[in-house]
Amino acid sequence: MTINAIHPAFIFIAGGLVLPFLKMRLAKQMAQLLIPVAAFIDLLYMGQGTYWTYPFLGYELILGRVDKLSLCFGYVFVIIAFIGMVYALHVKEDGQHTAAFLYVGSTMGVVFAGDLFTLYAFWEIMAVSSVFLIWYRKDKKALDAGFRYIMVHIFGGCCLLAGILIHIAGTGSIYFNPIGLDGLGSTLILLGFIINAAVPPFHAWLSDAYPEGTITGSVFLTAFTTKSAVYVLLRGFPGTEALIWLGAIMAVYGVIFAVIENDIRRLLSYHIVSQVGYMVAGVGIGTELAMNGSSAHAFCHILYKALLFMAAGAVIYVTGRRKMSDLQGRNLYRQMPVTLILYLIGAFSISAVPLFSGFVSKTMVVASAADTNRALVFLMLHLASIGTFFCLTLKLTNGTWFGKDTGDSGEESIEGAGEAPLNMLIAMGLAAVACVFIGVYPQVLYRILPYPVEYQPYTAHHVINTMQLLLFAAAAFWIYIEKLGGKRTITLDTDWLYRIPGRLFLSFCEKPLNKLRSDVQGSCSTNRAFVVSLSKNPFTVPLVLAESIKLKMTPADNSERREEIAARLHQLKSISYNENRYMISIGWSVMGCIGFVSVFALVFFCL
Amino acid sequence: MIRGFKAIFFISIGLSVLIGLFVPNEHVSFWWEGIPAFDAIFGFLGCILIIFGAKALGHYWLQRDEDYYDD
Repeated sequence: MTINAIHPAFIFIAGGLVLPFLKMRLAKQMAQLLIPVAAFIDLLYMGQGTYWTYPFLGYELILGRVDKLSLCFGYVFVIIAFIGMVYALHVKEDGQHTAAFLYVGSTMGVVFAGDLFTLYAFWEIMAVSSVFLIWYRKDKKALDAGFRYIMVHIFGGCCLLAGILIHIAGTGSIYFNPIGLDGLGSTLILLGFIINAAVPPFHAWLSDAYPEGTITGSVFLTAFTTKSAVYVLLRGFPGTEALIWLGAIMAVYGVIFAVIENDIRRLLSYHIVSQVGYMVAGVGIGTELAMNGSSAHAFCHILYKALLFMAAGAVIYVTGRRKMSDLQGRNLYRQMPVTLILYLIGAFSISAVPLFSGFVSKTMVVASAADTNRALVFLMLHLASIGTFFCLTLKLTNGTWFGKDTGDSGEESIEGAGEAPLNMLIAMGLAAVACVFIGVYPQVLYRILPYPVEYQPYTAHHVINTMQLLLFAAAAFWIYIEKLGGKRTITLDTDWLYRIPGRLFLSFCEKPLNKLRSDVQGSCSTNRAFVVSLSKNPFTVPLVLAESIKLKMTPADNSERREEIAARLHQLKSISYNENRYMISIGWSVMGCIGFVSVFALVFFCL
Repeated sequence: MIRGFKAIFFISIGLSVLIGLFVPNEHVSFWWEGIPAFDAIFGFLGCILIIFGAKALGHYWLQRDEDYYDD
């Protein structure tokens, strides 16, 4: 098949840059929708192979490595870019759309990068463009969270660059193939990757920044950074044992933090950590089933997580409230029933309820843990599934749309609330259709996975066991439902480590350290001034010193004497150097020279 | 409506356990998969464990006032 000449990253980046120059609003909106459509058609016409190679510093840059793995991620990224743009159609700030397109484009660049330099370049554009989706919210919290976000990503980028350089120096190759964990270079590359994959303890940037993003921007944020990190892990570190445990731990970790969270988008963010845990564990297990599972789960996760964020965003857009403690008991289900139903489709998908997308993808990773006899990992992933169902289908639904008001506001409904704008509902509808379609007809997903799929999710035993697991979790929820409302608290996480000690470090720099600096600088400049005054006339230095000492030693009550000395000192200091005044006869100079040469000769010949 | 919902819920709980007893597992990987209704027990106890584990962690360690990070 012939290859068309356009890299999908270019379509998004060029489109994003042109968008602000379109004058008519309708033209802008058309462009917002047509750019992802053009990229999708472009992807359909891309055959597998290697394209767009350029020589660079004696190496070969590969901008297009097209195979089943990169295409699988490419498809879903383009689909979600389209859905995200439908959701953001009503937003009039061009900058947000440009940032989103640059973000999508750079992610496409990462996905199709065949070498480590190209990967790194797009990796950094991804970090820089995505932070604007947070900053565009424009309140102080968002600005601060954005700064923390970009600092963490710059740190991750530095690790990645250092790792890449060490790796290239060691192997001489810049190709991005399985790297494996051996030595400093590969460890740093892995660190760069897992920071973006939000693996604890490097995950706090996610739950810190994503809830602060703009309502439409956060939908993009949920899809690209972590899943592109899963892609590069699949590409670079399949079968790395450490990733199995990191993945299993993060699956449970995210769930536990989500249980005690009050902010609805922050709760959802913790579930990104948890769900990416399945994918990371799948990469670590490294069998064909596990790799397929990770890819499939990334695909489904992007769709249902965007759906959940869109529904949460719709609630925030309509009500202006983001916490369950401000929403529960307000009977929002009466005012936003369509959003509730669409949200539930997302929640069922993430909870792996049969006939929804999570069931056909998540279970592949869990099955691969069973196939490789990893009992503890299997149980941890199972436990995280229960927690996911509990948090999203039960707790968040109850806390946002139903529930009892735990405060004393006495509010029975939220004034002025209703369904979100039509474009938001359509975007949620599209994602919901995709979630159900994949759940009912998984072959459509299985066909594009990197390896041939023999896995069959819909066995009677599997379906019934899943139903038992979920129904009994629901029973436990029902028993404790009264205790599970949102509380007006925040939860500390590992971002504490750079927020509180970081602030202490800053105030240490500003106060004691700065005082030390100014003291040292002051004393240096006093000494310098003294030395300068001495150097005006070195011949009077001994006399000045002698008079200064005299002045110091004279008792304070002897003012007459002190004035006398001070006057003499002043007079001495005012005598400037004049070569004629201190000129000595030539005979003295000759004698000095002879004396020096004699001493030198004595030392040289006798010792 | 809530009564109807409850009825459906309890019927489906009962049915899931009952059907589970008669559906053979073709692919046993771990010993516990032989225990009848293991997933039901695991789901129930796991959910309680998560609720109380997380609540305890939050209460004794991680949860703070909302203005904790404010200047």
